[in-house]
Amino acid sequence: MKIIYTDALIVGGGLAGLRSAIAARDKGLDTIVISMVPVKRSHSAAAQGGMQASLGNTIKGEGDNEDIHFADTVKGSDWGCDQDVARMFVTTAPKAIRELAAWGVPWNRIGKGPREVIINGQKETIVEKDEAHGLINARDFGGTKKWRTCYTSDATGHTMLYAVANEALKRDVEIHDKKEAISIIHESGICSGVIARDLISGELIAYVARGTMIATGGYGRIYKQSTNAIICKGIGIAIALETGIVQLGNMEAVQFHPTPIVPSGILLTEGCRGDGGVLRDKDGYRFMPDYEPEKKELASRDVVSRRMIEHIRKGKGVKSPYGDHLWLDISILGREHIEKNLHDVQDISKTFNGIDPADEGEKGWMPVLPMQHYSMGGIRVKPTGETPTLKGLFCSGEAACWDLHGFNRLGGNSVSEAVVAGMIVGEYFAEYCANTHLNTNTFTIEKFLEAQREYLQEILSYDGGRNIFDIKDRMRTIMQEKVGVFRNGKDLNDAVNELEDLLKMVKEITVTDKSLCNNPELNEAYRVTKMLKLALCVAKGALDRTESRGAHFREDYTKRDDINWLKRTIATWVNPNDTMPTLSYEALDISKMEMPPAFRGYGKKGAIVLNPLSKKREEEIVKIKETLGSVDRFTMQEALMDYDLPKDYKRKNERVGVGYD
Amino acid sequence: MINKSTQVEENTEGYREIEITVFRYNSQNKNDTPEYQTYKLIETPGMTLYIALIKIWSTMDHHLSFDFVCRAGICGSCSMVVNGKPRLACKTRTNEFEDGKITLLPLPTFKHIKDLSVDTGNWMNAMSKKVESWIHTKEKTDIAAIEKPIEPEDAQAVFDLDRCIECGICLASCSTKIMREDFVGAVGLNRTARFAIDPHDERTDAEFYELIGDDNGVFGCMSLMGCEDHCPKELPLQTKIAYMRRKMVKA
Amino acid sequence: MSQKDNTVELLTGKNNFGKKSRIPAKLDFLQSVTGLFLALFITFHILFESSILFGKEAMYRLTKLFEGEPFIEGGEPLIITALAMVIFSMFIFHAFLAMRKFPASYKEYQRYRAHRELLNHQDTNLWFIQITTGFAMFFLGSIHLYMMMTSPEKIGPYASADRIFSDWMWPMYLLLLVSVVMHAWVGVYRLIIKWGWFDGKDPRKNRKRSKLIIKVLIAVYLFIGLVSLASYMKIGYDHQSDYGSRYVMEKIK
Repeated sequence: MKIIYTDALIVGGGLAGLRSAIAARDKGLDTIVISMVPVKRSHSAAAQGGMQASLGNTIKGEGDNEDIHFADTVKGSDWGCDQDVARMFVTTAPKAIRELAAWGVPWNRIGKGPREVIINGQKETIVEKDEAHGLINARDFGGTKKWRTCYTSDATGHTMLYAVANEALKRDVEIHDKKEAISIIHESGICSGVIARDLISGELIAYVARGTMIATGGYGRIYKQSTNAIICKGIGIAIALETGIVQLGNMEAVQFHPTPIVPSGILLTEGCRGDGGVLRDKDGYRFMPDYEPEKKELASRDVVSRRMIEHIRKGKGVKSPYGDHLWLDISILGREHIEKNLHDVQDISKTFNGIDPADEGEKGWMPVLPMQHYSMGGIRVKPTGETPTLKGLFCSGEAACWDLHGFNRLGGNSVSEAVVAGMIVGEYFAEYCANTHLNTNTFTIEKFLEAQREYLQEILSYDGGRNIFDIKDRMRTIMQEKVGVFRNGKDLNDAVNELEDLLKMVKEITVTDKSLCNNPELNEAYRVTKMLKLALCVAKGALDRTESRGAHFREDYTKRDDINWLKRTIATWVNPNDTMPTLSYEALDISKMEMPPAFRGYGKKGAIVLNPLSKKREEEIVKIKETLGSVDRFTMQEALMDYDLPKDYKRKNERVGVGYD
Repeated sequence: MINKSTQVEENTEGYREIEITVFRYNSQNKNDTPEYQTYKLIETPGMTLYIALIKIWSTMDHHLSFDFVCRAGICGSCSMVVNGKPRLACKTRTNEFEDGKITLLPLPTFKHIKDLSVDTGNWMNAMSKKVESWIHTKEKTDIAAIEKPIEPEDAQAVFDLDRCIECGICLASCSTKIMREDFVGAVGLNRTARFAIDPHDERTDAEFYELIGDDNGVFGCMSLMGCEDHCPKELPLQTKIAYMRRKMVKA
Repeated sequence: MSQKDNTVELLTGKNNFGKKSRIPAKLDFLQSVTGLFLALFITFHILFESSILFGKEAMYRLTKLFEGEPFIEGGEPLIITALAMVIFSMFIFHAFLAMRKFPASYKEYQRYRAHRELLNHQDTNLWFIQITTGFAMFFLGSIHLYMMMTSPEKIGPYASADRIFSDWMWPMYLLLLVSVVMHAWVGVYRLIIKWGWFDGKDPRKNRKRSKLIIKVLIAVYLFIGLVSLASYMKIGYDHQSDYGSRYVMEKIK
């Protein structure tokens, strides 16, 4: 039996995992990161457009601060997020970006004086302040009041990931790639590591650690059309679910991005619209201002995606062999801007569609259609990142339902969450690892290892003649067609039933190659089983949630219902032989919110059933404000909703022109 | 070497049939012998090698191993040798091969795993450590304070070199690397150039010399330009290696 | 370097001060310097050689010029010996430096060859030309240079022609010509790339341009060289019966 011992074990080598590894190493802990792929290939690298942090350097971001970022995030989440976490996040984000700058991320910088930008389809000249010269620039993104999204052209995730990975290498974080965690070792409510499979030799290895963190990203690949990398299968989330103890939160909250390119599904960044690009229909007509007069193309992603489908349903889509689509037009930004700031977009469009988006007029329009993009749901954790039900198991990044994003994530908040969670959760995790001692034994470890060995043998012994690839395809199609942008009770019910059948059907497959090593078919067999469990959590969660909130939109329950549904869906898989998750709910407490639920300012008006507690809390807030009188915004905020941060992350952030105010 | 042929595909009218020949070998299995296997499939519009290989894998041969992650030319996982040229498979469209015949080999110089899959991660991590691919500075950053201003052009210049995706194509196109295992290659030299021009990095030329001042570093490069001519990110490798060479000769 | 210093480097890979040796930098630089020097030498050498195309007299006068006739009555062939010695040392030094880059074992050679055939990449193929011609010149160049050092007086319209034709040196000269022209110009192209000499605003375009110019120069020099060689052959053929007799200028006759 191969056992590898370490202090801090991190599963997943993307931004969140690697930043957490740095936090652990900085505490002097022996740290191992295991990853299915070389860490610099992680899906964080694919984030294009940018990272939100309220620096307020650019003139269009002037006056920005944590409060505005907080409000944008909460509204974006459709009040589904955990406001404590949102506060922790917005306070740390400026620090994260400055730390990254010092680590060499070549953030696009401001040049003083006038420059031309496209706003609302029109050329405008803005003048940058002298004192902002050389500071980090920002672009406009959906659902934000200020230009807040900092970027390195359209390869932001890539430059961030490389900087963080290199810093991890500098600190001698041990990286074990081509290893896949397939089960979590735990006993008496304490987690002590994972069983991982060496994807080259097929060997099973027990990684035993004082603390374990899952940072394996989202589960987008349960959908047929997704912008996600093909490794985004949610395996890390699934193995947590399979403990029977760990809870998943809001799995039905799945984001659809408005502008992946058709048919490949490769993402074209929100920066396209942020920089001034517009959406057009089959007549070349710019339709978004009709639906969203204020934010237009830059309403939040859930809203824009729905409006696009709505418009296509009106017969305004462009016909193609791959179904109807719409156009994204960035040619109006000019060739120079595109080649400098949207280089990868141009490259993708040219390579995969033969379209040069810098070509003027119709010729440069790129075909786009909303597709699965982000998983707001994931492993439910406390603000410290630890799971409330399994001690020593932490989770950060997209894999977690830390709950920063609620039911809709804002563009630019994902890589931002990944590094910020890496700092905050990483710090709590490191503290835990430093103060905890291993309390397991080889008997327990062997038991978990044996269980996996037997499970893999069991899969190889199935002999029902079915093909795992067919099951996977069917699952992905069901999710696409029945658990998509628009959802309804009938379809969701069908989806749940069919997915349950598929899960049962897994035992009827035949894996033709019986080898345990380097067998891609075997990998697929156990992965699809796990994906089906997640798909069921998504579909069942969506079926039972009879309201519309953020990205979860029910055609039969079109209103956001704060009276009955201001709560988080919690899914567990109680018994290994279950074929359906067990759902429960965790209520959100309005009386503790800094920002009680209200209208978001975009999306359909009058589609909310407000909770009377909202009003009550609002009055309370007014009263608190009156009592305090003229105090600074930090004192005020503390009085409304206090929150904790580790290290010195709660310090005030300096900004150009305003200092530490 | 044995040639096997597999044909599973209904004829779809109007589309041509293409032949993809793949190097098959399992380096983990001592008894395996290398062979080339040919698959015939119908070329659908806009087909890339990613789409073709996934199709082969899911419908014809579940045992075929290859590496894809982002399938959008961003992550650098799917480098392989396509009709002799190291390329990113996800960005290679099948219709550019007029005779419809495509031969795929794993990337040379890296440790072979199976079929088209090789181990790039460990090599790249070791390279990053060897050239100390991170900012070296004595300055302590206060992350709550306003960041150090950087000239926009300087940031842009660093970004242009930071676009490297460690796909390994420069190494697989390099005769020096093919002959000399320990050569850091264009990827390593470009990385040092990236830090050498970064205003955050305080390293002197003499310090860089300690990292790349030998025949495994910049003086190993014979300027054959395989890197420059195959880099999928079109990085300015030719000029940056020359830049480092000029610096190192004087260091 | 003392024995002690060498021992330190042997054991640590660094010198007494814990630093990497500067020798690799010097070797790399000197390889380029010697190469450039030899390339410049050969461009003029071939041009001077081709003076035969302007007649025996032109060639004779040029030869005498190099023997220092304006200052020394009748010329002094030892000047040629001295020049040849300088070139030969440079040549050996360059060969010594360039050898570092040759495949050092069968494994390296096999890997290089298989890779080159697979890649079929022009600049990589050009390097193959360079190592083959370089290798050939170890011998061809040495023969020629040694002869020039030992028999410097045997240069002249008839003397050279007899050597080439009647002494059966022409196959060697043919091979040497092709090798030296290719090696020199490809080498110059590589120097341009290696040190980034003419990068300009668009290094990619300028590299293409450099390559084109180099190709033209190779063609021109091969042409000049081959025509000159043919010319010596013709003279040597006609001069068979008077083998050994030296050229005397018309007016002196």
